[in-house]
Amino acid sequence: MSNTLKLIALLFVGGFVFACQPNPYKQGETLYQFHCENCHMADGSGLVDLIPPLSSSDFLTDTSGRLVCLIRKGLPFNEQTRQQMPPNGDLNEVELANLVNYLQTGYTQQAKVVRVEDVKRWLAGCQSIEN
Amino acid sequence: MRVYLLSFCILAFGICLLSSCKQESPQLPYMGNVEFVDGDSVYHTVPDYEVIDQDSQAIRLSQIGNKIYIADFFFTSCPSICPKVTKQMLRIYDRYKEDDRIVLLSYTIDQRHDSVTVLNRYAKNLGVETIRWKFVTGEKDSIFQLADDYFVSAVEDPDAPGGFDHSGRIILLDKDRHVRGYCEGTDPESVTSFFNTIDQLLHEQYP
Repeated sequence: MSNTLKLIALLFVGGFVFACQPNPYKQGETLYQFHCENCHMADGSGLVDLIPPLSSSDFLTDTSGRLVCLIRKGLPFNEQTRQQMPPNGDLNEVELANLVNYLQTGYTQQAKVVRVEDVKRWLAGCQSIEN
Repeated sequence: MRVYLLSFCILAFGICLLSSCKQESPQLPYMGNVEFVDGDSVYHTVPDYEVIDQDSQAIRLSQIGNKIYIADFFFTSCPSICPKVTKQMLRIYDRYKEDDRIVLLSYTIDQRHDSVTVLNRYAKNLGVETIRWKFVTGEKDSIFQLADDYFVSAVEDPDAPGGFDHSGRIILLDKDRHVRGYCEGTDPESVTSFFNTIDQLLHEQYP
């Protein structure tokens, strides 16, 4: 077998294995279960109009750091749902990065990986979250 | 002769089958203490306290009438188990929403925050018919006493998430306000089994 064929076979198998991988952000998953699942549910489905499903949340596709700020600072009062989202002040930058990567990998098609440096930069610029 | 024998066997089998169908399913247990008064068993009964529903109506279970009740204790700003339990209450509601023999009750344990207006909005955001599922508040002492009588733990605790510590139990009351079953509202499988308990009580109370 020529080297080119071997390379193609390797890429094919590697791509297949990668595509079948479950969400790789294990810490993010654990953090989700501990901090988020009670309200957003294990499958992210939420609760009718009280807690919107994650898959329809524009926070998840936002690339300007609003999601990080939302998780860290919470939402004092959501006009649409009339509910609050509690802050998570005890999550550090690494945990926030893992949680956001877990959410975006699981609920969006967004491939861009959030790095700890991104989280630090966003946290420094967090404004109060508006609906 | 063989034809007669075969006919007899078929007939005997049919009679056995019919008689087995007539066997009544075992009655659900009564939870709590039983007292014996004048030779009769008196079962634990949930008090008939007046509560206020999401439409500002003062109600007593005795006035709602000939219903069985499925109840939980929650508060609308609860950051812990309440949304999971409410999701399971919603499963129960969806299954029985066309059945006017059943009323769901959600008692708030946070009377200070959960005003009638807040409860009304909560019900609307859940998209449920409040004739089938009532969200109620009342005197703080009455609600906490009711929780005790429903065998649900609920206490104010400044260290607990949201300021209250409570269980996610969903309770089944019969028409006479006796506790006849319960499930864990945080466990979907427990709720799935609970459907059988509800069906059994319906069969028992509306033969």
